Amino acid sequence: MRAVQKFGRPVAGAVVLATALTACGGGSPSTTAEAAPTELVLAIGGEPEDGYDPTLGWGQYGSPLFQSTLLARDADLGVVPDLATDWSVSEDGLVWTVDIRTDARFTDGEPVTAGDVAYTFTTASRSGGLTDVTALREAVAVDDDTVELRLERPQSTFVNRLISLGIVPEHAHGPDYARNPVGSGPFELVQWDEGQQLIVERNDDYYGEQPDFERIVFQFTGEDASIAAASAGQVDMAAVPAQLAPTQVPGMRLVEVESVDNRGITFPYVPDTGRTTDDGAPIGNDVTADLAVRRAINLAIDRQALVDGVLEGYGSPATGPVDGLPWYEPDSAIEDADLDGAEELLEEAGWTDSDGDGVREKDGVRAEFSLLYPASDTLRQGLALSVADMIAPLGIEITAKGESWDVIDQRLHADAVLFGWGRLDPTEMYNLYSSTRAGVEYWNPGFYGNPDVDAHLEAALTATDTAVAEEEWRAAQYDGEGTGFGPSGDAAWAWLVNLDHTYVVDECLDLGAERIEPHGHGWPVTAGITGWRWTC
Amino acid sequence: MDLLTRAVRGLAGRLVRLVLLLAAVATASFALMVHSPVDPVDAYVGGDIAAIGPEQRAQIAERWGLDDPPLERFATWLGNVAQGDLGRSLSFNQPVTEVVGERFLTSLALMATAWVLSGVFGFSLGVLAGMRQGRATDRAVTWWAYTLASAPTFWVGLLLLYVFSVSLGWTPVCCAVPVGVLADDVTLLDRLHHLLLPALTLSVVGVAPVVLHTRHAVIEAMASDHVTFARAQGESTRGVVVHHVLRNAAAPAVLLQFASLGELFGGSVLAEQVFSYPGLGAATTTAALGQDVPLLLGIALFTTVFVFVGNQLGDLVHARLDPRVSRDLARARRPRWGRGEPGEPLLDPDPLPPPVVPERAGAR
Repeated sequence: MRAVQKFGRPVAGAVVLATALTACGGGSPSTTAEAAPTELVLAIGGEPEDGYDPTLGWGQYGSPLFQSTLLARDADLGVVPDLATDWSVSEDGLVWTVDIRTDARFTDGEPVTAGDVAYTFTTASRSGGLTDVTALREAVAVDDDTVELRLERPQSTFVNRLISLGIVPEHAHGPDYARNPVGSGPFELVQWDEGQQLIVERNDDYYGEQPDFERIVFQFTGEDASIAAASAGQVDMAAVPAQLAPTQVPGMRLVEVESVDNRGITFPYVPDTGRTTDDGAPIGNDVTADLAVRRAINLAIDRQALVDGVLEGYGSPATGPVDGLPWYEPDSAIEDADLDGAEELLEEAGWTDSDGDGVREKDGVRAEFSLLYPASDTLRQGLALSVADMIAPLGIEITAKGESWDVIDQRLHADAVLFGWGRLDPTEMYNLYSSTRAGVEYWNPGFYGNPDVDAHLEAALTATDTAVAEEEWRAAQYDGEGTGFGPSGDAAWAWLVNLDHTYVVDECLDLGAERIEPHGHGWPVTAGITGWRWTC
Repeated sequence: MDLLTRAVRGLAGRLVRLVLLLAAVATASFALMVHSPVDPVDAYVGGDIAAIGPEQRAQIAERWGLDDPPLERFATWLGNVAQGDLGRSLSFNQPVTEVVGERFLTSLALMATAWVLSGVFGFSLGVLAGMRQGRATDRAVTWWAYTLASAPTFWVGLLLLYVFSVSLGWTPVCCAVPVGVLADDVTLLDRLHHLLLPALTLSVVGVAPVVLHTRHAVIEAMASDHVTFARAQGESTRGVVVHHVLRNAAAPAVLLQFASLGELFGGSVLAEQVFSYPGLGAATTTAALGQDVPLLLGIALFTTVFVFVGNQLGDLVHARLDPRVSRDLARARRPRWGRGEPGEPLLDPDPLPPPVVPERAGAR
């Protein structure tokens, strides 16, 4: 009822059924409102089936809604204090001392203390959930508003745990917490109809910026239902897949948010010497182990054409795994779509087509390899096939193959694989390129290893100062003297594209400054939710 | 006294069968899950794979109890089940009994509505078609039934969703309750409105076989001697159907309807997916995709009991409607349990051709 009066959103109630019929039938969204609405309805997916417990991983992307975090990222992804007022790292990088504000209260009225912070970190480090706090040795509340986080090893990226881990109250945290979250965040949980919707209300005691809207409804429907609801004018915002982004929805505008949700090709970096992993998976590929081949492919791919052709324009060319983030090195990028340059590289390196079959050889090795992608992923299929086509004129034969993860698990050290990554945490870069991560999980599948790059990565990870860390992260991509893992250096991967995340948003809803989103389309858009405004 | 002992013995026999069935289902489901190529930790970690290190994965495996060898895990689980503890669902972070209980209540409304709808419509249409065998009505109904029988549930669901929810806007696009309305403000009519389309879709699963079997039974009954005799006595067609045909035709329809509970459940998985209806079917999908072994086993056991009870009820009701069946059942059971009185003399050949008795669930 309320919804209909305030902004004409048809709620299919008994009494309003007739009204709803007419309103929906026209398919027009609802602009009967004069006053700004107090409620928003969002269909952006992202329901956590296991509830809202940060110690199990809730709230790593976007806003944790109910809890607040020690630190936060601003729109430029810089680190700013939130629940913390100040923080410092010891000389040896092992102790993080955090002062917390004294005016924060949980929604049950209890103050947020250093004890709660220590409890949260300790619990998360042992929880077996989706947040990796295993670097923590112990968390100790030194006094009421100071907490010391003592680490097992120096880790500059631990700052991301301070940014992503919502603080839970020690006195109200138990097995039921995930369904009855109590926190010091901007919102309170009102009702969660699992599989359907989450209704939250503004926490008027929140210490930070008060959200404009009293109530926000998150509708957890599939893509089709979300778009149907948007077309019927029932939601203020919906995440839409890029293929459907060109569909016009009356009263709504299309918002394209840049992301590091990237796709790229990993190359086996070492030659095939018959070595295998402990599980018997072969390691190495004689073609992609050649620097000239990797560089030539990086040089020849026309990434803008991939964006236009495969992503229908909703994306940007990717030059590395961390494009646009504070630790990105622009000099690691190269000018691509350069077939001539690529051919020259191959000729110089001794790859020639001596038998005239259109594929080059060197020392009896044909320039051919397989490029695997998960068969169920049509986007990666499109990218893989396009890349194979782009590279064919170069005299390198790429066979794109859709496989199950089962097969990919066996082949990922010996064939090229099309992966997708992208987090707002440089730990990922470390995992993808450090030789210590070769063959661990899905990280560094190509067994890449370069002592100079390793040194920069280690230095970045153990730095105690953010600026130093970021400088080292950049140097790992390209150090200015020809070394780095990027396409201008070892070209260990061929990064292809960054996806844009597309949303249809009510013309009256201002989302504030856009920020680069991580892997995962939907929930991350809520990162700035407290700053959203109604402009009509 | 004799009746009572026989009833108790019958019940005990059924219980033993149920327990054996449950044990078999649990073992088979567990074996399937363990041999599934999906790695449970990978499935749980999903898109966070870049941020979860080996140590954290070890913690996850420990929390999920994946460290022990499969046989040991199964034994532990069996022991807990024997004590009434079905374990904790990892994907929902909630005890399995709670997940199943909550979801089943939502599904129950959907399945019951669909079940009644398909039973009533199927039976009426079947009788109508059988009465007018060979005429236009019969051909239309039969054609309709064959169309429904060959249409996949999810496809029918999508079609209905597109027509009634998106194009016409008569029904909601999703969910069991209106979006943005607090639980206290949701009316019964709201719930029915949200139930309508999913229930209609789901009833499609069951309606076609009931129509066709009923039609067949009606045609056979109509052609029988006792109907000819009744006609000869001047009974009208309506009178013949009401007094002589309906009961004969009802028996297979009822048995079929109870036997279809398994298919109904299978259909609800698809229907709930299409309409974002948060019932047991949706939970099954989540459990299967997330390799949530405790929940999937819990659901498998629950479904087994559900279908088993449905089949037993079907037997009982069928026997009530058709006395020959209870006699046959009694005769059939005696040798198996080895304790009955000597067999009764065989009766004369049945006055009617035996009604079409379909096999139990999953006959198609």
